[in-house]
Amino acid sequence: MDFYFGLIQIIGVHTLLGLSAYCVLLTGQVSLAQAGFFAIGAYVAGMLTVIAQWPLVPALGVSALVAGATACAVGFPALRVKGLMLVVATVAFGEAVRLFFFNFTYQVQAGNIRLGPHGGEGFRQIRYFPENGWTTLDVMLFIWAVVALVMAGLWWLNRSRAGAVLRAVGEDELAAQSTGINITAVKISAMTVGGVIAGIGGGIFAHYTTHIEHVQFGVVLATFAIAYPILGGLSNVFGTLLAVIFIQGFLIEGLRFMGDWRNLLFGGLIVLAMNVRPRGLLDAGAMLALKRLFFSRKERSDA
Amino acid sequence: MDLLDLIDAVQSVADGVLFGATYALLGIGFTLIFGVMHKLNLSYAAASIGAAYASLLILAGIEAPAIFVFLMAAVAGGVIGGLVYLIAFKFIPLANPLATLMSTVGLLLLIDEIIVHSTAGVPLNYPALFSDVIIPMGPFNLRGDLIFVFALGCVCMVVLLLLLYRTKLGLATRAVSQQPIASELCGISITHVNVLTFVLTGVVGGIAGAMTGAAIGMLSPLLSLPLTVKGLIVTVIGGLGSIPGAIIAGLVVGGLENFFQFFRGVSERDLYIMLLLFAFLIFRPGGIFPTTAGRD
Amino acid sequence: MLDLQAVSKHFGGVRAVDGVDLTVARGQILGLIGPNGSGKSTIVNLICGLFPLTSGRIVYNGADIADLPPHARVTMGIARTFQNIRLFGQLTVWQNLWVAQNSSEQRKQNFLKRWLGGSRSAREEIDRTLEFFDLAHKRDELAGNLAFGEQRRLEFARALSAKPALLLLDEPAAGMNAEEIDQLDGRIRRMRQDGITVLLIEHHVELVMSVADRIAVLNFGQKIAEGTPAAVQANPVVREAYLGTAAAA
Repeated sequence: MDFYFGLIQIIGVHTLLGLSAYCVLLTGQVSLAQAGFFAIGAYVAGMLTVIAQWPLVPALGVSALVAGATACAVGFPALRVKGLMLVVATVAFGEAVRLFFFNFTYQVQAGNIRLGPHGGEGFRQIRYFPENGWTTLDVMLFIWAVVALVMAGLWWLNRSRAGAVLRAVGEDELAAQSTGINITAVKISAMTVGGVIAGIGGGIFAHYTTHIEHVQFGVVLATFAIAYPILGGLSNVFGTLLAVIFIQGFLIEGLRFMGDWRNLLFGGLIVLAMNVRPRGLLDAGAMLALKRLFFSRKERSDA
Repeated sequence: MDLLDLIDAVQSVADGVLFGATYALLGIGFTLIFGVMHKLNLSYAAASIGAAYASLLILAGIEAPAIFVFLMAAVAGGVIGGLVYLIAFKFIPLANPLATLMSTVGLLLLIDEIIVHSTAGVPLNYPALFSDVIIPMGPFNLRGDLIFVFALGCVCMVVLLLLLYRTKLGLATRAVSQQPIASELCGISITHVNVLTFVLTGVVGGIAGAMTGAAIGMLSPLLSLPLTVKGLIVTVIGGLGSIPGAIIAGLVVGGLENFFQFFRGVSERDLYIMLLLFAFLIFRPGGIFPTTAGRD
Repeated sequence: MLDLQAVSKHFGGVRAVDGVDLTVARGQILGLIGPNGSGKSTIVNLICGLFPLTSGRIVYNGADIADLPPHARVTMGIARTFQNIRLFGQLTVWQNLWVAQNSSEQRKQNFLKRWLGGSRSAREEIDRTLEFFDLAHKRDELAGNLAFGEQRRLEFARALSAKPALLLLDEPAAGMNAEEIDQLDGRIRRMRQDGITVLLIEHHVELVMSVADRIAVLNFGQKIAEGTPAAVQANPVVREAYLGTAAAA
């Protein structure tokens, strides 16, 4: 049973990572910096609970703030460039964060062991959950409570005017400017919200794995972050969730019996999916069709 | 710092500049594809490494001279380049840049995994040319294999520049990259130009992959991600769309990499390269040679 | 209301707009005509801030707006349509108008209400605009799925959503049939009744002659004539540069 709980935890955390990229993608920007914000969240939250002995929730709050502030600061120079340049700039930022933690050591003596991040060896012993007697089930429920909260917030945002404005900027910046939208402010806000979500996700990640190190936050994680919303489709937050379940649950765990072949299938399926459904699994057309399906049923049952 | 350290430092930077020729070639590849398609091909460096692997595979069991391996890498690169276009670009509508980006990411993972799968993840030795030659120059020693890699890179660049600026194919390529619709109206088939660009950049990539293998002495799928990142950085620092820029940036990044490695250690090395990129993005976002944006 | 003073825009060696003076009086419909490539669309792009000026001043309600970003100009009451339709195709018709509510009056709303909920009056306004443009039945359709004529109307409607005082219409009749042009004629006249100043850029001479109070004629980036429709029509310079070529073709 613990295996499934563990899997569900992974899905939850990766959903947060995917949603953080989702916010930015809505404005048409491809950011590969999300793994960097995720790493910042992980290290900040870990250091607060381990070294400063804070409880988890305020630690997560601070990690969200720090990651969000970083995202906002990065947004100003980075969002001046577009397309390929932005991809490269954000990759470089993500790598710079990773390399920073690769070289970052800050340890304190606790009893007979030393605690805290230790350069290339990483940050071990983030043992908040076991120390406070949380079971795997508790952790899982906590993670999903956060995921549900974030998803509900984004879902609501999506239906609001703010969501429509984000999409308008994503679709045609020139037209958006000409209808009076301040596109710089919109993009930086999206980046900041994305950073906050990635920060929370990273903070949780640090605590359930108990051991983080720089290699976990590389380019691969950054590409996963954008892969989820792109594969799932940008019309809806549930697309991202669907893609995380598909990738983490089905491709990575479900196909374990295939051994080596699983990894081959993984890349191949992504290529195939993009060829067949370039706008993602749940695109706007699919959502509208679903909506019609429901509404026409309702009308029929009313009659 | 005494004199011996200085000599070592200069030596190491010189080695880096020579190796930088591979970065330059990859940068050119990224720039050319972006110029013609206005799309990012993230699988490019992985495909280049894949081509180098394929050259080993083709020549497995045959005692062939190393130069032949390089030739095969170029051929394999071309074939893989064509395949990449077919798989990750051909059938995805132009209006969906995110989808092509993602499909090239998928392809990157796929190529890496094919390599891991067929070699069980064990790095393979790659033949080097003139590795036993050492040219002493005063207090410095120039490694024969690196000189060969550098020379090969230079030949590649010259041939590529001649191809782009002295042939009809090059003219068509440049036309498509500047005004796709107008070129099509002039009777240039965009699809043909796209395929040719991918094959051409594939050949260049194959050679770059072989050069990497020869310079390091081995091949590993772990090379493809760092090469992707370095190639992209070179593209941006050089100025998107500028081939001379990519060449200079490639050599500079190669040299600086070893410079920082020498003075700050291998773990901090790349951090400074990233900072260099940020400096460019903030102070000179157009790169060394900014291309003037055309009107549409 | 809007004053262009010696406005120039050069692209490299090309003088797309060269020292143009143009005044749009409040409540007026000013037609701007000229052959292809005479700089009409460039003037629109300069007024709404998509291109920086090479030289000259753009004065709107007494203030020089040449250095303001495009979105700030919309807030001040300058809205536009695009010649080549640029709707948000993946948003619904209704949302297209929603995102465009950026007038200074609309910006004064409570922050949360404006971005998250949207006040009732804002919603009713959208419904009224859709009604006026005969798009109410398409409100939940994706804008990208509309027919061409409907997309043109939606462009117009979206520009009105920001409650402009000055409306820049960039070839609103392009590709329309006679009946649609008739309706467009009526809607532009309605703008004048509602007190909206209009700068109408149009190829369709009949439409301009019919609705415009005054007409300015551009050729090779320079203004060659200005006056009432009748005067412009009678002007020999205009005939030679514009109507003359039209007659020959």
